Amino acid sequence: MTADAQRRRAMGQILLLAAGLLVLIAISTASVLLVNKSRRDNGLVVHTVEVESQISNLLLEIRRAESATRAYMLSSAPQYLAEYQTAAAGILPAADQLISLSSDNPVQVANSTKLRKALDVRLAEFSRGIDRVKNNDVGTAVTVLRQGTSTDAVKVIAETTRDMRAEEDRLFKLRTATADRTQQLASIVTVAGSGLVIAFAGLSVFLVRVSSRARDAAESKLRDNNINLETTVDERTADLREANDEIQRFAYIVSHDLRSPLVNIMGFTSELEELRGDIFKRIASLARLQSAAAPAPDNATDTAEPALEGTDKQLSEDFTEALGFIKSSIGKMDRLISAILNLTREGRREFKPERIDTRELIENIVSTVAHQASEAQAQIRIEPLPDIVSDRLALEQIFSNLIDNALKYLKSGVPGDIQVRGRTKLGFAIFEITDNGRGIDPKDHQRIFDLFRRAGTQDKPGQGIGLAHVRALVRRLGGTMSVASELHQGSTFTVTLPINWNKSNRNREA
Amino acid sequence: MSNPVTIIMIEDDEGHARLIERNIRRSGVNNEIVPFTNGTAALNYLFGKDGTGLDHKGNALLILLDLNLPDTSGIDILKQVKDNKYLKTTPVVVLTTTDDSQEIKRCYELGCNVYITKPVNYESFANAIRQLGLFFSVIQVPPAAT
Repeated sequence: MTADAQRRRAMGQILLLAAGLLVLIAISTASVLLVNKSRRDNGLVVHTVEVESQISNLLLEIRRAESATRAYMLSSAPQYLAEYQTAAAGILPAADQLISLSSDNPVQVANSTKLRKALDVRLAEFSRGIDRVKNNDVGTAVTVLRQGTSTDAVKVIAETTRDMRAEEDRLFKLRTATADRTQQLASIVTVAGSGLVIAFAGLSVFLVRVSSRARDAAESKLRDNNINLETTVDERTADLREANDEIQRFAYIVSHDLRSPLVNIMGFTSELEELRGDIFKRIASLARLQSAAAPAPDNATDTAEPALEGTDKQLSEDFTEALGFIKSSIGKMDRLISAILNLTREGRREFKPERIDTRELIENIVSTVAHQASEAQAQIRIEPLPDIVSDRLALEQIFSNLIDNALKYLKSGVPGDIQVRGRTKLGFAIFEITDNGRGIDPKDHQRIFDLFRRAGTQDKPGQGIGLAHVRALVRRLGGTMSVASELHQGSTFTVTLPINWNKSNRNREA
Repeated sequence: MSNPVTIIMIEDDEGHARLIERNIRRSGVNNEIVPFTNGTAALNYLFGKDGTGLDHKGNALLILLDLNLPDTSGIDILKQVKDNKYLKTTPVVVLTTTDDSQEIKRCYELGCNVYITKPVNYESFANAIRQLGLFFSVIQVPPAAT
C-alpha cells in the first residue's frame, strides 16, 4: 500500500466520521425543535378544549341561574334565592375566565365582548325578576318571565356561544392536524437520521476492517523484512569474518611460502660465496704459475688468502659486492616476512581484558627505555593517567611503540621532552604522547600508519611496521588513533580507548 | 650410526633437499639418503605396495619430514607413520619453515621426535643441519619391526 493511498484512506475515514457527526447533530437539533413544536401544538389543542369547556361551564351557570330564578318566582322559596345567588356569582368570573382564555384570538375576543354585554343584560333581567318577587309582584314577574323567554340577550348569548364553539372547533381541527404533522415529521426525521447513522457506522466498520487488514499485512511484511534484515546482517558479518580469516590465512601462507625459496636463495648464495673462495684461490695459483715466478709447491695448504692482482682483484671485489647486495636484500626480505607473520599472529591473538594501572604500565616502559632516553638527553614526563580495563600486552605494545618512536625521532642537538597525558571523556580514555622532535609533514600523516611505509629523513633503522601495528591493535581494542604534527614542531599521537573493553566492543574478528 | 640406517628425506623443495644433504654429508654422515619430493611417493615407499609397512620390517629408518608438501600435509604423513605398528618406532625429524607454536605443539603431540625450524640465515641453517648430522651419528635407531 502506497503512502498516498494510506493518506486518502485516512482522509476518507475522517470525512466519514465528520459526516456522521454532522448528521447526528442535525437529527438531534431537528428532534428538539420538532418536540418543542409538537408540545406547543399540543398545548394549543388543549387550550382549545379548555376554551370549549369554559364555554360549556358558562352556559351551565347561566342555565342554573335561569332555572333558580324561575323556581324562586314560582315558589318564593328562599333556598332557590340562595341558589340563584351562587349561580349568578359564578357567571361573571366564568365569563372573565373565558375572555382571558380566548384573548389570543381576535375573533373570539370580539365574540366574548359581545357575550359579555349580553350576559350583563341577562343578569340585570334576572335581578329585576328576583326584585319583583321580593316586592310580592309575582304576577308581573311571571309575565316578564313569559316574555323573557325570547329576549334579545338570550338570543345573543346562544348565538355568540355557538359562534365561539364553531370557532374553537375549527381551531381544534386545525391544531390537531398541525400536531399530527409535526409528530409525523419528527418520527420521519428520527427514522431517516437513525438510518443514516447506521449506514455511516456500517461504512466505518467496513473501512476500519479494510484498514486493519492492510495494517496486519504491513505488519507481517515488516516482521518478514526485519527477519530478512537480521539474516542479511548475520550473513554479511559471517562473510566479513570469513574474508578476514581468509586474509589472515593468506598472509600466513604467503609469508611461509615466500620463506621457502628465500632459504634456497640464501643457502646457495652462501654456497656461491664459498665457491668464490675456491675459484679465486685457483685463479691466484694459476696466475702465479703463469707469471713464471717460483710456484709455491706447498700451496695445497690453502691457509692464506691468495694474493690477487690487477683485473683479478677487481673481479673478486665485484663478486663480493654482488653477493653482499644479494645477502643484505635477502636479510631485509626475511625481516619483512617475519613482520607480516608477527602481525598475522598478533591479529589472531585473543585479548584478555584486565584492570590496568596505566601509569605503572607506562613507568615500566619508560624504565626499559631509560638508556636510550639518557643517550638522547631526553626526559619523559608522565602526568596522571586514567586506569582502564583492557589487554595488558596490547597496551604495552601500543605505548612502547609510541614512546620508542618519540625517542627515536628527536631533533639532534635539542634535549628531548616527551610528555604522556591522559583524560577521560564519555566512556573513553584519551592518551596523548607529545614530543618536541622533528615532527611529521601533514601530507605524510596517513602514510606513517601504512605497513612498510615511513616518512621523513631515513636515518634510523626500521621496517615501517610499528605504527601500522599500533593502529591495528588500537582498532581491535575498539579505539581510534590520530596524529597532530608539523614538520620541525614535534608530534602528538592521540590514542582513544574504551575505558571498559570487552569482547562486544568490537566485531570478534575485527 | 652403527647399523645401516636409511634416511628418508621428504622435502618438496629440491634446493632445500640439496642443501640439507650437503650439510649432512659435511658433518660426516654417509648413510644412504632416499629423497622424495612429494608425500604420495614417500608414503608409497614407506608403506609398500600392500600399504602395511611390512616391506621395511627389520630395516632401520629415520625420517626427515617437511610439513609443507604439495600433495599431502606433512602432519598427515607423521600421523600415519606413528599409527603404523612397524614404523611407529622410527624417529621422525620435522624440518620445516613453519615456526608457529601451535604447529610445533601439534607435531610433538602426534609423536614427532625432533622439530627444527629452517632458519633463513644460511649460517644458522647449515649449522643446524650439521648438528642434526652429528646427532644422527650418535643416536640409536631401532629396526622397524619388533
